Amino acid sequence: MSVELLPMDLIRTLSMLLVITSVAAVEIRRLRMAAVAYSIQALLIVALLASFASGNPALYLWAGTALITKAILTPYFLFRAIGSGDDRELKPLIGFGPSVLVAVLLMLGFYHLTHTHILLLAPSELAQQELFRTNLAVASTVFALGLYAVLTRRDAVKTVIGLCLLENGVHLSLVSLAPGLPETALFGVASEVVVTVYLLLYVIGGVRRQFGTTDTFALRELHW
Amino acid sequence: MSADPAAVTSSLPPLAFLLPLAAGAVVLLGRRFGRALAQAVTLVTAVAVLGIGVAMVVRVVAGQVLVAWGNELRVDGLSALLVVVIGGIGVLASLYSVRYVARPTAPERAGEAVAPTRLPVFYGLLLWFLATMLWGCVTNNVVMLYVAVEATTLTSGLLVAFYWDRRALEAGYKYLMLLTIGITFALFGCVLVYAAGAATGKLDGGQALLLSELRGVAGLIPSGTALIAVAFLIVGFGTKAGIAPFHPWLPDAHAEAPTPISVLLSGVMIKMAVYALARTVSIFYPTWPGLAVFAVGLGVFTMVLGIVLALAQDDLKRLLAYSSVSQMGYVLAGVGLGTYLGCYGGLFHLLNHAVFKSLLFMAVGALIYSTGARRISELGGLARKMPITSACFIIGAVAISGLPPLSGFMSKLTVFLALAQSGMWWAAAVAVLVGLLTTVVLMRAASAVFWAGPSRQAAAQNPVREVPPSMWVPMVILAAACVLLGVLPQVAYPLLDRAAVALATLGR
Repeated sequence: MSVELLPMDLIRTLSMLLVITSVAAVEIRRLRMAAVAYSIQALLIVALLASFASGNPALYLWAGTALITKAILTPYFLFRAIGSGDDRELKPLIGFGPSVLVAVLLMLGFYHLTHTHILLLAPSELAQQELFRTNLAVASTVFALGLYAVLTRRDAVKTVIGLCLLENGVHLSLVSLAPGLPETALFGVASEVVVTVYLLLYVIGGVRRQFGTTDTFALRELHW
Repeated sequence: MSADPAAVTSSLPPLAFLLPLAAGAVVLLGRRFGRALAQAVTLVTAVAVLGIGVAMVVRVVAGQVLVAWGNELRVDGLSALLVVVIGGIGVLASLYSVRYVARPTAPERAGEAVAPTRLPVFYGLLLWFLATMLWGCVTNNVVMLYVAVEATTLTSGLLVAFYWDRRALEAGYKYLMLLTIGITFALFGCVLVYAAGAATGKLDGGQALLLSELRGVAGLIPSGTALIAVAFLIVGFGTKAGIAPFHPWLPDAHAEAPTPISVLLSGVMIKMAVYALARTVSIFYPTWPGLAVFAVGLGVFTMVLGIVLALAQDDLKRLLAYSSVSQMGYVLAGVGLGTYLGCYGGLFHLLNHAVFKSLLFMAVGALIYSTGARRISELGGLARKMPITSACFIIGAVAISGLPPLSGFMSKLTVFLALAQSGMWWAAAVAVLVGLLTTVVLMRAASAVFWAGPSRQAAAQNPVREVPPSMWVPMVILAAACVLLGVLPQVAYPLLDRAAVALATLGR
C-alpha cells in the first residue's frame, strides 16, 4: 500500500465520526433512530475503506462488499424487524452517563495500546505507521462498544445492533492487519455477518411472538 | 503447490463438501415435493459422503496426502478421520431422523407438531450443516477455516431453534449470539496468524494463508504476537468446542435441538471445533512447548466442571450435554499435550466420544419418542418395555464411563498414560477421578430410568413400546462400534496413527 497517497485528514475525520456514531447507535433509546445511527456508521465505514483504497486499489472491492452487506442489507433487516410499532428500547442495565464514560475510556485505552504495543497486535511494517495505529485504535473501540452493547442491553434487537458494531470493528481492523487478504476470504467473512443478523432477527421475531417481548431477561427458561 | 512428496491431487476433498452443499440446495428448492424426497436425498448424500470419507482413509493410510485447488484444500490423516466421523454419524443421524421428526409430538412439546412443509427445510439445513463441517475439515486456508466454523453456526442455528417454542427459541438466540461473538475472536486469531506469517517474509501473500505452509514459519513469529493469536484462537474455537468456561451455550443448544441435531452437535460439531483449535494452535507448539501445560490445565478444568454440572441434572438431554463438555476436556487434555501418545489418545477419544455420545443421545431420543418424557424423575422401569433402547443406553454409559472392555476405557487409558508420560500426574489423577464421577452420573440415570419403579405420571400414560427399527438399527450399530473399538482397538490404529502423526509436534 502506498501510504503517501492516502487522504490523511479525511481518514481521521471519518474515524472520529465512526466512534461518535457507534456511541449513538448504542445509546439512542429509540430503536429506529439507533438503526439510523448504525446505518450512518456503516456508510462511514464504506467511505473509510474507499479512502484507504486510494493507496491500495484492492480495498475498493472491500468498500463495495461493505456497502452491500453493512449499509444496505443489514439496515434493511433491522428496520424490517423493528417494524412500525412502538420502538422504545427496554431500559438497559447501564444508563447513558456511565456508558459515555466507558466509551471515552475505551477509546483512550486503545489509543494508548496501539501507540505503545503495536508490535504485538499488528506484526507488519504497514500497521506500525501512525495512520494504521489510529485505525486499529478506532476499530478496537468500535469492537469493544459493540461487545458492551451486547452485554448490557436488555432489548434483543439492540444486542443485534451491538453485534453489528462488533463485526464492523473487526472488519475495519483488517485494513491494517491484513490488507492483502484475498477477496474470497473477505467476501466469506462479510457475508456471514449479514446471514447471522438475518437469522438472529428471524429468531427474535419468533421470541417476540412466543414471549410477547424482546426482553432478553425474559429468556429464563433454561438455566444450569 | 506443496513440496510435500506425498501430496497427490485428488477430487475427493472438494467433492466431500460440494456434494452435500448441492444436495441441500436441491432439497430446499424442491420443498414442494415433500418429506420423502428430502429424506431420500439426505440419506443417499450422507452415504456418499461416508463413502468419500472411507476412500480418503484408504488413500491416507497408504501414505498419501490429498490436495486440491492448488493446496487450498488438503486432506491428511487428521482431516480424513474427521471426514469419516462426520460421514458415519451423518448417515446414522439421518436414518434415525426419518421416524423421529415425523413424530416429535411428545406431550412435553405439545403444540409444536412439526408441519410437513417444514421438514424439507430441516433436511436442507442438515445437509448444509454437514457440508460446512466437512468444508472446515478439508480446507487448508486459515481464514476459510474460520469462515467454515462460523458457517456451521449459521446452518445449524435454525435447526437448534427448530421446534420454535419458548425453550427452543431461547436456545437458538443464545446459540447464534454467543457463538458468533466467540468465533469472532477466532477470526482475530486467524488473521493475526496470517499477518504474522506474511510478515516473516518467508511466504508470499497467498501462501501465508495456508496452514501447511504456516507451520514451517511459526517459529519466526514474534512471541508476543504468537501468544495473543493463541489466546484469541483458544477463546474463539474453544467457545465452539464447548471448552469451559466458554461452554454456557452448549447445554441449551444440545438439549433443545431435535435429537438427530443433538447427535450431530454433540457427536460431531464440537469435534470439528477442536479440530480447528488443534490445527491452528499446534503450529506454535514446537516453539512454545509451555502451551501444553496450559492446554492440559484447561482440559482438566473443563472435564471437572462439565461432570459436576452434569451431576445436578434431571433432564437427560442436559445431562448428556454437560457430559459432552466434560468429555471434550479429555480430548483437549490429550491433544493439548502435543506428544504423539497424547494426540493419539485425544483423537481416539474424539472418535469414541462421537460414537458413544451419539448413541446416548439417540437412546434418550428413543425414550422421548416412546414416553414423551425426558426427565429422570418422570421415567422409570423401562428396561422390560424398551429392551433394545435400554441395552444400548447401558452400553453407551459403560463406554463413556471408561469401564473395560468398551471403547472409552481404551482411549481414556491412552490419555492417562500420555499425561503420566509427560509427567503430569496431577492431571492424570483428576482425569481418573472424573471417570469415576462419570460412572456415577450415567449409572444413576440408567438405574432410575430403566430399573426403578415407574413414576405415577409415567404409569398413567399410554403403553410404552420399543421404537421402530429405523431408530434402533443406528443405535445397535453404534453400540457394536463401542464394543469393537474397545475389544479390538487396533482396528482404528492405521488411521489414528496417521492423524496423530499429522498433529503431534512434540515428538513421538
